[in-house]
Amino acid sequence: MPSEKTLGAAFAGALTVALAAGAGSAAAQTNGGWGAYGADLANTRFSALHQIDTTNVKNLQVAWMLSLGSLEAQESTPILVGDTLYVTTSSGPRYVFAVDAKTGAVRWRYAPEVPADVAATTCCGLDNRGVAYANGKVFVARLDAHLVALDAKTGKEVWNTKVADYKSGIAMTSPPTVVKNLVITGYAGGEYGVRGAISAYNQENGQLVWRTYTIPGAPTDPGADTWKGDSYKHGGGAAWYVGSYDPQLNLVYYGASNPSPWGASERGPDKSEYGRETNLYTASTLALDADTGRIVWHFQTTPYDAWDYDGVNENILADLDLHGQKTPALLKADRNGFFYVLNRRTGALISASPFVYVNWAKGVDPETGRPIENPEKRPRLDVWAKDICPNLFGGKNWEPMSYNPETGLVYIPSFNLCMDLIGRKQVYKAGIMYLASEWNLAKPGPGGHMSELIAWDPVQQKKVWGIKEELPFMGGTLSTAGGLVFYGNIQGWFKAVDAKTGAELWKFNVGTGISQGAMTYELDGKQYVAVVAGRLKTPPSFLADIGERVFAASPEGGVLVVFTLPGA
Amino acid sequence: MKRKRLAFALALTTAVWSGLPSLPSSAAEEGGGPASRGAAKPDPATIAEGRSLFNQNCSHCHSPNAASPDPPRDLRRLSLRYGDHMREVFWYTVTHGRPDKGMPNWSGVLDEKTLWTIFSFLESIQTKP
Repeated sequence: MPSEKTLGAAFAGALTVALAAGAGSAAAQTNGGWGAYGADLANTRFSALHQIDTTNVKNLQVAWMLSLGSLEAQESTPILVGDTLYVTTSSGPRYVFAVDAKTGAVRWRYAPEVPADVAATTCCGLDNRGVAYANGKVFVARLDAHLVALDAKTGKEVWNTKVADYKSGIAMTSPPTVVKNLVITGYAGGEYGVRGAISAYNQENGQLVWRTYTIPGAPTDPGADTWKGDSYKHGGGAAWYVGSYDPQLNLVYYGASNPSPWGASERGPDKSEYGRETNLYTASTLALDADTGRIVWHFQTTPYDAWDYDGVNENILADLDLHGQKTPALLKADRNGFFYVLNRRTGALISASPFVYVNWAKGVDPETGRPIENPEKRPRLDVWAKDICPNLFGGKNWEPMSYNPETGLVYIPSFNLCMDLIGRKQVYKAGIMYLASEWNLAKPGPGGHMSELIAWDPVQQKKVWGIKEELPFMGGTLSTAGGLVFYGNIQGWFKAVDAKTGAELWKFNVGTGISQGAMTYELDGKQYVAVVAGRLKTPPSFLADIGERVFAASPEGGVLVVFTLPGA
Repeated sequence: MKRKRLAFALALTTAVWSGLPSLPSSAAEEGGGPASRGAAKPDPATIAEGRSLFNQNCSHCHSPNAASPDPPRDLRRLSLRYGDHMREVFWYTVTHGRPDKGMPNWSGVLDEKTLWTIFSFLESIQTKP
């Protein structure tokens, strides 16, 4: 880890910055706009807009629609810059569209020729989750592991930088994080045994400014002794999802994925008493100094992971009132089923509690932060562990949650699935999936429903209300100051519910499944709500008969649907 | 030889029509495996072993036990699509890959015995017409 210094020094550095900046508040919240994937760099997915509220949402109507022109998974959240929406489609991306946000008229489209064989090195479907914007440029990360800057007015490439060799099993699917003069990105590959990294490029010219690896590359690197032998060489830890940024602390937050391969015998002692073989920094949250990439702190949610409890889920930055004290917190609903509240300045654990049914661990040790494992639920080499909950889709996957500071609640799109899992032996080969496992994921959890929208109180660490959904892969959530939560399900129903009670206030079927979260914006005094739809392709294929139900409930599609109130 | 070519031309037509792998006419001459394997009915232990090997190496795209909900990836339809040429299509696809569709080339990754053990499992679960 070339850019990492000792953790002691790192903590001291972080403390100095924090004291100089004063008590940190989360990055500025959106004010009528939606300038980043997660609404803001705190990833709250909360909008202060309130023209559409609990009293009138029943009148919502379609304002316009845009066919996205591709039929793979549609996982994009549009962003708004001025009066232009920027939205991407799957397959590479197949397109980046710049669209008149009032009418849907296309201003330009960027249709790069991405090598077709990226399909073999993209684990979980051809997709793209959106773009980032700064200083007249739109930044898009592609499946061929190229990071591209486009002129926001014309869609022409300004620069095109190769981040990594996709043929080794690397793909880029998520929007980068723009910080100061940098554009920061990770990449996927935790299923191919890549070495995870987070890299920062100069926004002006695409030149590399810093790169921080998430796992060791040599025996002398910090953390190498947390791996069995030299297993870190193909150890994963890919930071493939979206980052967060706190400008006052100057810290960038990313999650690192599961270790490779899933089967754990290659990487450690193959038992719950794993000692120091935790496989750092996989299945972790990392806080990096934005200027240097130095890892300031880390928190590993699933040490020595054997369940594919990937640690990439988004980190929401919010200031919570804890014991009468305003605390700079980081909120994460982890794959492993626990909801973590950390101090985002220091990485200290504040609390962790299961937000879904969890049986692989009895809890999280408040002192060490380590899960207290149930050894029967740890799959081992050639030994099945049965009925592990949650399954490897996690209590929550990438589908984003939202945080409403007015209700103080987090709205989590969750899974209720369990699994059988066993470790196997597999020889690593570049570009070939490196899983070393067998599994059965098609096991609904208690109650039989397979998804649930959970309203979660992060201070009390308890569920306030929930809405059960029959099928898995419900979409992410949007919270607004109109007292609403918007979300969709895989059957294509886009719904608005009361943020306080969960009461359903409105719904509309968009004709194909919804995986992503919606966004909202205001132009000329009119509030719009936009959602991308298109049924997933690859993840349901993990699920055999349940996957057939998902496919039957929802045709392939690719559409952006925008709603508004009549006459507003 | 001519008959064989014609048969492969038919297989090719079917494959293109159905969206499953297309098969160049040279496939008949490649590999050597298809003709030399699988004449005898596989025993249950081989099928069970094939199922496990399939689930380790293929199920992330084709679903556990090959029960994919996605028709183009549903390997229970191989017999319906390729009939007598299922064996050749299988061999050509696993030894050449279809990277544009996400299918890697398994040559040098899985040995011939493993591939044919997986094939024994696939044969055992084919959808009847």
